[in-house]
Amino acid sequence: MQKIPILSLNSVFIASIQTELTDDEILLFQSELLEKNHQLNPKGIIIDVTSLDVIDSYMAKVITDVMTMVKLQGSALVLCGVQPAVSSTLVDMGVMLDSMKTFLSLDHAFNYLTKTENAVGFS
Amino acid sequence: MNEKLAPIISTIQILTTIDIVTARQRGRELAQHHGFSKGEQTRFATAISELTRNIITYADKGRCEFYSYEKENYQIVSAKMIDHGPGIDNPQLAITDGYSSGSGLGLGLPGAKRLVHELLIESVPGLTEIKISIKQKKVMINGHN
Repeated sequence: MQKIPILSLNSVFIASIQTELTDDEILLFQSELLEKNHQLNPKGIIIDVTSLDVIDSYMAKVITDVMTMVKLQGSALVLCGVQPAVSSTLVDMGVMLDSMKTFLSLDHAFNYLTKTENAVGFS
Repeated sequence: MNEKLAPIISTIQILTTIDIVTARQRGRELAQHHGFSKGEQTRFATAISELTRNIITYADKGRCEFYSYEKENYQIVSAKMIDHGPGIDNPQLAITDGYSSGSGLGLGLPGAKRLVHELLIESVPGLTEIKISIKQKKVMINGHN
């Protein structure tokens, strides 16, 4: 089973999803992320989906769920790199990631989370 | 070629959720091979992902067949999802916009339908077939196909 590395940079977690994931792999990633978040208390978490050509409604639900879970833990999760074809596909399907904070690039997401006032649960 | 006679290019058995990934990748490759845009490839692959997931969720197992053929100067690429599950009550209603099964889950059929040019559904208890197709005008070179 593939594991998605969760990197830490200046106390921000960065997880870049590089390959298509099976359901089991996504759920493994979800639980690892929650565990690591609990242990290390980062300023925030960035999930990068630049390499993903397909985000189906299941994947969208897992991402939204993990964001809600992380928020419950007192941290913040943002998304970056949604491809043009993926964004139009999701909207056409009626899957809205309204509740997600999203950024065009990793740069923007990182800058956002490292501004102290935006980092939830950081004092 | 008559679409009824179009040969199956490949069949992917849908037995576990891993096969969902295999099926949508195959769909993307096929669309790419026939020169469909990246956007069309993504939409087709996503629709396959949604429909093969329905197979796992509602019918336990099934298969996905791929076709490509020409019809009236259009290149068509199709995927047909087949299962022997309980079937869908009133399939025509299930693909209507705004329809939900009431459980809050829905089948995602109207969503999948919006991603492709055509979605055809036939369902009776024990056999459900959903065929999705994308099409584009064939590129003519020197007046020849």
